[in-house]
Amino acid sequence: MENRIKIEEFIDGILTDKERQEFKARKDTDPGINKDIVFRTEINKAIRDINYMEMHNLLIDQMKSKELISRKIKFQPNIHRIWQIAAAWFLLILVSGGLWFVLSNKSFSKEELVSQYYNPVHPVLLVRSVEANTNAPIIEDFHFYQQNDWTNALNYFNSLENKISSHFYSGICYIELKQYDKAIESFEYVINDNDNLYVEQAKWYTGLIYLMNNQKNQAIDQFEKISDSTSFYSNQAKEILKHID
Amino acid sequence: MKEFTANNILQGLKDRDTKVLDYIYNNFFYQIKVFIAKNHGTVEDAQDIYQDAILVIYLKTRENNLSLTCSFSTYLYSVCRRLWLKQLEQKRQRKTIAEDTGIFIDLDESVIELFEVNDRYKLYQEHFKKLSFSCQKVLELFLAGIPLKDIAKVLGFKSEQYAKKRKYQCKEKLVNSIKTDPEFKYFDNGIHKGNNNGK
Repeated sequence: MENRIKIEEFIDGILTDKERQEFKARKDTDPGINKDIVFRTEINKAIRDINYMEMHNLLIDQMKSKELISRKIKFQPNIHRIWQIAAAWFLLILVSGGLWFVLSNKSFSKEELVSQYYNPVHPVLLVRSVEANTNAPIIEDFHFYQQNDWTNALNYFNSLENKISSHFYSGICYIELKQYDKAIESFEYVINDNDNLYVEQAKWYTGLIYLMNNQKNQAIDQFEKISDSTSFYSNQAKEILKHID
Repeated sequence: MKEFTANNILQGLKDRDTKVLDYIYNNFFYQIKVFIAKNHGTVEDAQDIYQDAILVIYLKTRENNLSLTCSFSTYLYSVCRRLWLKQLEQKRQRKTIAEDTGIFIDLDESVIELFEVNDRYKLYQEHFKKLSFSCQKVLELFLAGIPLKDIAKVLGFKSEQYAKKRKYQCKEKLVNSIKTDPEFKYFDNGIHKGNNNGK
């Protein structure tokens, strides 16, 4: 254990000069120590690499959203079977043409769209927000949020006065508690402020709330506004619009 | 849809531009899917290889270590092809590609090295996300260069000394969790290729 502590202290650069020299001498004669140092240093690099993590998440999200679209295309093999069964080309064209028209305009249910596009903001991303936003909440109290304890998380966020970020996270809690009207109020506060990091996300979540709450026309309006903007969610809004009937 | 040049695409990847990511997917993923399908893979394999290839190219652009002598499409296909071949070898299935569905170029070993780094990063980050919220925050803040006394204050620890102890405990938890992952055994030998500069 002492060895492991020394290795961490060496990596963290907190050994005194004397300790460092002694440790280096040991390190040079013990390949196991060297190996452990390389391994632990690489872990540190991976954790610090927020950009890599973000890129990875973007690709995962992209694949998820593309899968939803490809599900429409996957109807075609079934149509091919119908073609084989059909006795005449003329009939086949009529049948497949008719089916194509129906299926290519297939819409997805509200539940399918919501499950595909809705995720509460992950707390792992919060440090970045804390760094960039002076209105950031106190990070130690994200414990409840992390545990999906939405009621207690909400109580905490509501106890913070007039912080933009606390309104934003209250909105997420309200969604999880299915109190959609209150969620919209929280996000409206963030959107009306219009000078914070959460505006685009708040607009996106507002669209999803309309969808959850069966307010189809409002949802379409909201996603159209997002898709016409330069929002990060513009492409996702365009995709979701294709699937709302 | 807006057209992008190869340089635009490389810059877009470096910037993690979602419009460029969409453009790449819409224009080139199909080609990769066909290639993997013709070479004994599934759609899921194609998705994994495509994602890994984009991450490898992203890592290369970050190192300012990529100037293309071919089209982006050819380069992406070549990276995917190389990664898939490596995976087939690992599964001891095949040592050659059965059918090529595109033009490819020879790639140097740095692609495979970055692929291995990429795999390890994914494993480390996956285990990091499984740590408790408090542990994640201690490590994130420490590695962001926040002094221990400030970490203690922000996270409500009783002292700087306790924050230091907690950081050590959390790191050990993470290290042990990674080491006990069956995937880690495969990486173990490759880690030596890295360097050990900095924390």
